[in-house]
Amino acid sequence: MSTGLIFGLTGLGVFVVGLCGALVLVDPLRRVLALKLCSVGAGFMLVVAAWKAPPEAPDPVPHALVITGIVVMISATAVALALIRRLHTLEHEHHD
Amino acid sequence: MIDPLLLFDVILGLAIVSLAVTVLVVRDRFAMIVLVIVFGLMSALAWVRLAAPDVALAEAAIGTGLTGALLLATWRQVRTEPERWPALPRGVMVINMGLCALVLAGLVGAFLATPLGTPGLGVAVADNLADSGVEHPVTAVLLNFRAYDTLMEVVVLLVAVIAVWMIDRGVSQAPQPTLGPELGDLPRGFARLVLPAITVIGAYLLWVGTSAPGGAFQGGAVLAAVGILLLLTQRYQPQPSHRPLARGVFVLGVAGFAAVALLVAGGGRVPFEYPADHAKTLILLIEGLVTLSIAATLAALFHGREPEAISTQGGRS
Amino acid sequence: MIEMPAIDWLTAVVFAPLAGAILAFLLPRQAHWVGVGAVVLTALMASALVLQVLTEGAVVTPLGNWGAPLGIDLRADGLSATLMAMTTGVGLLVSLGALNSYAHHRAPERMRRYFWPLWLLLLSGLNGVYLSTDLFNLYVMLEVISLAAVGLTVLSGRIEAVRAGLEYMYASILGALLFLLGVGFVYLELGRLDFAGLLAAPPSPALGAALALMVAGLALKTALFPLHVWLPQAHANATAPASALLSALVVKASLYIVLRLAQYLLPLSEVLVALIGLLGVGAILWGSIQALRAERLKLLVAWSTVAQIGLVFVAFARAGADGVAESWKAAALLMLAHAIAKAAMFLAAGRIKEEIGHDRIRELDRSPVRPTLAQLSFALAAISLVGLPPSLGFAGKWILMEGAMTSGYWHWIAVTMIATMLSVAYFSRVLTGFLRFDRQRTTVGEHQGWALADAAPLTLALCALGLGLLAAPILAFMNIGYPFGGAP
Repeated sequence: MSTGLIFGLTGLGVFVVGLCGALVLVDPLRRVLALKLCSVGAGFMLVVAAWKAPPEAPDPVPHALVITGIVVMISATAVALALIRRLHTLEHEHHD
Repeated sequence: MIDPLLLFDVILGLAIVSLAVTVLVVRDRFAMIVLVIVFGLMSALAWVRLAAPDVALAEAAIGTGLTGALLLATWRQVRTEPERWPALPRGVMVINMGLCALVLAGLVGAFLATPLGTPGLGVAVADNLADSGVEHPVTAVLLNFRAYDTLMEVVVLLVAVIAVWMIDRGVSQAPQPTLGPELGDLPRGFARLVLPAITVIGAYLLWVGTSAPGGAFQGGAVLAAVGILLLLTQRYQPQPSHRPLARGVFVLGVAGFAAVALLVAGGGRVPFEYPADHAKTLILLIEGLVTLSIAATLAALFHGREPEAISTQGGRS
Repeated sequence: MIEMPAIDWLTAVVFAPLAGAILAFLLPRQAHWVGVGAVVLTALMASALVLQVLTEGAVVTPLGNWGAPLGIDLRADGLSATLMAMTTGVGLLVSLGALNSYAHHRAPERMRRYFWPLWLLLLSGLNGVYLSTDLFNLYVMLEVISLAAVGLTVLSGRIEAVRAGLEYMYASILGALLFLLGVGFVYLELGRLDFAGLLAAPPSPALGAALALMVAGLALKTALFPLHVWLPQAHANATAPASALLSALVVKASLYIVLRLAQYLLPLSEVLVALIGLLGVGAILWGSIQALRAERLKLLVAWSTVAQIGLVFVAFARAGADGVAESWKAAALLMLAHAIAKAAMFLAAGRIKEEIGHDRIRELDRSPVRPTLAQLSFALAAISLVGLPPSLGFAGKWILMEGAMTSGYWHWIAVTMIATMLSVAYFSRVLTGFLRFDRQRTTVGEHQGWALADAAPLTLALCALGLGLLAAPILAFMNIGYPFGGAP
């Protein structure tokens, strides 16, 4: 057992929890969070792929990829949230 | 004899997975957002354990801090709406969950069958680090070896802010994401003290990125926090007349980065091939522009709609 | 290559639309002129790149001169150049159509202001996908495409569009994240992400998991049955030029990546290929049934996309796992045919709706308002999608069946026949409406039967019809640079 193994399994667990949420949930805000979980899970897998048993230094390439992934994910989240807000406003007008 | 640090890892891993489940099942949506922030910080901690401090910093600042702020701002606007709980037929739910269990089993099987610690590109990065213009390997990958990816990532941010401006139209009755008078002058005083400090930290992160963990994204995120505080305390109120300037700052990162990438080409060099003597200067230039863009873009994503002629709340400054 | 060409066309076709998008965003009042200019410029650069591939074979640019796997290489071979030419060509004509659709008196200023930057960013992302040779770079490009495409979907700002756009967003992000986890598994196993690395890799559990994740993610993004649920509403509720772009171009990017992965991850398992074909059959049946039941023209066209994407997957699977080395060409030809014809069809449907004020299939008729040229374009596009000679659709189906026949997979021929008959059935619902006089209920103002705006759909429809005659040279061109040479 190693740190890499433990967190690799953690990442897969988080990803599948998110996947399950994305398939099953209905509330718009909660579905965004389910996708956020998936992105963290995928990030775990890349960080684990970079990991080497210490004292060896980790591989910097996947680290850079995960940072890119984090920025991409906040962009996607922002757009999804804007859609949710817009939909909320439109539904409000619809009911009035 | 189990290594106590490994025991810590196991507990941390279990905590992360259970937090993930709790986020999705907790009833209260405010609690859900708070839990996802805790979840993000725990993941960042795990990434520190995996010797990835840059990633941990980015996750804590952007993936958790700013994402949390975005979520809370949206929650404020839609919280009047009762939450829709799963209305899917029970059969569909069971099938989906079964499917997820199968996926999990398959992925875990494949993961366990794969030995960890493939050589990867670490060696190649180390060999070429001296020619990259920076000393920190992650920055070298982001701004030089895989600069094209990073440019496209800044493009993703640009697409996002354009899309958000288009989608989110100001509606006068929508509550403004401000701290409001109920919090009084305390946050404003706090902001006055803290803002200069955060700005310095952001600039420092950008600078240190060339040789140690940090860089444009983390620095940009910290500066974006400054922007968000300015918005929350109404020190800054977006006006329609500021739009041209805002557009300019949003595109600054992409435009500057792309211009450098193309202008260095020619004379036998390909795009993105920085001349060896100027590599560090060019990378710092790109990082500076990108940091500004990221900070402005993230703050704009938090604010949401495009400032339009519709009147906002009465001006207080 | 001994010396670098003066201008590197590979980077040019990605950066030109990007520069256009920035300018269009900075100058909202001039956005349409900037936009059309940038698309024309990109089309010229794409032609230059096609010529270069034609004369020199596959072209590679190692960005930053690091070379894969440390750096990222851009590479154009026959297949990528074909799809890139398709994207810029169709994109140019749709842009001309959009110039009319979002003209001053028709649409709110807001639509005009935002359409162009989003579309140019989309174009940049699409070209980026076709030229990329790196899995993670593909992920970033897919996200550029997703966000821009969602923006285009909700351009009208109507509640149905926003609701559909949100569903599309969820599907698109989930697809991208499945792809990303697959990328993680590839790095875990190989320690590199370039295509050349995949080519040299022996099969392993991690690569199997990666392939499954990536194909599942791409199937979700390309709306393969049963992961298609987001598509019909998104494509039917967008404005006409946006629908044309989404249906003709956006779904092709993920399809293309599937074809690429299949080239590098050979040999594929027989079960996987059969499963892909089977899902294709499901898509054909379900998409056609829904198209037969649709009450609105745009919804019918959107559902027919589901069916035709299914056919592309059938073409991919037509000759089993061993046949994939040839089958990708049939699939690519059908993609090309669908892109051109479907762009024509959505633009024509938009024109028809614009002129007669509704798109209820039941009430379509011939007089007194008859957007004749738009109806003609729609009919010609339908001919190509049904697959009558000499259309490009015919050529695609012919090659599909030829390959299935030679390898003895007769059931795929039956499937193709059924798909053809079903498409005749659902399109004739519309075409018979065009020919009827007796359904007229209200009198609307006089209409001259044609307008300059019909030029774009008509040109596209004629291309879809006529390019079938050039199927052989197109196939030969797509073969340039295949198979990918050994690892560098």
